[in-house]
Amino acid sequence: MPELMLDDPDGTLVMLRDSVTGFAARFPGAKAMRERRGRGGTMDPLIWSAMAEAGWIGLLLPEECGGAGLGLREQAVLSEALGRALIAEPTGTASVFAATLLGGASPGVERSRLAAGVASGEVVAVPAWTSGAKPVVARSVNGRIVLSGETRFVDAARAATDFLVAAQDADGVMLLSVAANADGVAISERAGVDGSAIATISFSDCAVPADRMLSRANRSEDLLRQAILHTRLALAAELTGVASKALELTIAYASDRVQFGKPIGSFQAIQHRLVDMWIEAEFAAAAVVNAVDALRGDDDDAAELAVLAAKARAGEAAFSICRRAVHLHGAMGYTDECDIGLYLKRTINLNAMLGQPEQLRLEFVERESGYRRGRI
Amino acid sequence: MASDWNDIPDEEFRSTFRAWVDQNCPAQLRYMRKQRPLFNEVAEWYHALAAKGWLAPTWPRQYGGMGLSAAKHMIYVEEWGRLGCPRIPDHGIGLVGPLLIEYGSEEQKAHYLPRILSGEHVWCQGYSEPNAGSDLASLQTSAVLDGDEFVVNGQKIWTTLAHCANWIFVLVRTERDAKVRQKGITVLLLDLTSPGVRVRPIANLRGEADFCEVFFDNVRVPLKNLVGKVNEGWTVAKSVLGHERIFLGAPTRPEYALERLRRLADARGAFEDPAFLSRFARLRLDLYDLGSAFERYAKVLRAGGELGADVSALKIVTTELYQRITEEMLTVAAEEARLADDLAAGDIEIDAMNLFLDSRSPAIFGGSNEIQRNILAKAVLRLPG
Repeated sequence: MPELMLDDPDGTLVMLRDSVTGFAARFPGAKAMRERRGRGGTMDPLIWSAMAEAGWIGLLLPEECGGAGLGLREQAVLSEALGRALIAEPTGTASVFAATLLGGASPGVERSRLAAGVASGEVVAVPAWTSGAKPVVARSVNGRIVLSGETRFVDAARAATDFLVAAQDADGVMLLSVAANADGVAISERAGVDGSAIATISFSDCAVPADRMLSRANRSEDLLRQAILHTRLALAAELTGVASKALELTIAYASDRVQFGKPIGSFQAIQHRLVDMWIEAEFAAAAVVNAVDALRGDDDDAAELAVLAAKARAGEAAFSICRRAVHLHGAMGYTDECDIGLYLKRTINLNAMLGQPEQLRLEFVERESGYRRGRI
Repeated sequence: MASDWNDIPDEEFRSTFRAWVDQNCPAQLRYMRKQRPLFNEVAEWYHALAAKGWLAPTWPRQYGGMGLSAAKHMIYVEEWGRLGCPRIPDHGIGLVGPLLIEYGSEEQKAHYLPRILSGEHVWCQGYSEPNAGSDLASLQTSAVLDGDEFVVNGQKIWTTLAHCANWIFVLVRTERDAKVRQKGITVLLLDLTSPGVRVRPIANLRGEADFCEVFFDNVRVPLKNLVGKVNEGWTVAKSVLGHERIFLGAPTRPEYALERLRRLADARGAFEDPAFLSRFARLRLDLYDLGSAFERYAKVLRAGGELGADVSALKIVTTELYQRITEEMLTVAAEEARLADDLAAGDIEIDAMNLFLDSRSPAIFGGSNEIQRNILAKAVLRLPG
């Protein structure tokens, strides 16, 4: 089945894939997803700390911060493997996004504490930066930073020890960490389609010590842009993995399921649909590899375009493949008992994060050629 | 001349090749509207390549080729396309040459290969028949041995450029009762000037005659024109394309068409329409990702690997994308889409209808996309038969 084809001279990538396979045997993805749903969407701390122990959560963090000091190639392969295994933890946000912010944050005690904690799993630092109805605003009061406003679409909020918050002040955007149990922090959760909980965090005159500042205006925008870039790549890789596995399961089902005295996978109508799904998965993998390659080059614009294309392609492919996979499983596919629906739901969640394909494609042509909506 | 092109770094090879081609491919032949020009229309370019020794990129050097590796060959093809050079009648170079080099006798190689390079022999490919298209193995054109000659009767169709060719390599049935239909097929080299051969061009949707019908009425072919063994031609015929299959999936046509669409849309103000912008963005990204997918297979070749059946994915996507782009051109053309001739777009002309009609064929030829899907279902997805 389609997978990322990357050079692997020292065997690191194979090792990563193998370690995810071993992990999935201990913590089967579908089972964990169902159990999480039963718990109202909270993360299983046991799974997250095992992932940290494997070195995955701090994979992108520099070694001097306690991380593995690996790069985006390795992250892409890890995310793909996690997607295949349906290990539906908030890797994109609480690992990739967080590690990119922390990796680039101003050196200091707080950054060191968070980075080491993220890598070891003792700290769950969840990015909280998407503006809600009232953007988060920072005021300076008696040497402390006081936050008001709300931020939306936050993963794993109840498992978080710290939130990595983007707040507006007079100079622009600052990044700071806020203790999840601080006074003035309120979490309200809604059920996510894949059984995770998605939160809105409200800050009401929440006072934060000034030494929790991670970066000031100017630098923060760059950091956020980089975190979005890396996370989009990781999500694209994860979606590629989900898509490839959903396709594999569907091919197996169609080869097994007998009607009219033959496996349904012997019928041309089914075969051609499966081939089209395979092509989509193949293209998703190629788009992610292209983005990984582009990110290693020194052309930032080319890398941005490649990542936009990869997330758009992988999201589109995974959504299309999983929809059709449910259909090709027949009535079984519509049952909660059959795993294929979990792949669809996981895909919808990942596909909707940081830009759906349509939005990403429009961003691509605007970046590339200046075409944009409303241009007269 | 270099002792071995493959020892030269890629970029140096690219610039050497490009510079010479740019200087020697006649300007009036660049970016021809015709996809398949006749031999005499491009003879000047053909002979220039031959004189330079650059006509047959993949033939071994001992036969007058360049002996290029797959990686170097890709550069050759890319630069050729980038400079807008016309396609030459290439069945001799691309199909007959490799076929003879692999399966031909020493006499056949010595006789035919130089005549391909000199342009004395212009070849066409006699595969499809009226009742043997996608199901090629059902072909019925017969050859019966009579002394030291085969007597050929039957008909071929969709024979590209037969009307400017003087030789055809033809699949004939030499055994009717074979249990497996693929058995009993033989490859013959047939002189189109032989008595009993009739060639009739067929006009296509664009009003051009790219392909022909070829009729054989008791045509006598010497036994020495047999390639390989009698009744074992299927293997010979199927083995002709190796790494070249990647070129069926090259993004060249959709690339060109999208650029034309962009120019037309600019001239018509279509980018101000959000619905068009959305459709354009999808086509642009489909093309961009096709480039990424092409690169995935190109990497395999550059690393010295061989292509599997999975490369057919490129052929399906590139031909269907080409169609979707040209369909969008007609949408943008609005009522002007009723016109047969080119559309003015600023200071250039856009051949929207020409491209739309042209884009119908690649999804059919070279194994229709449905056949490609059948192959992928079996060979790659391993679905039950």
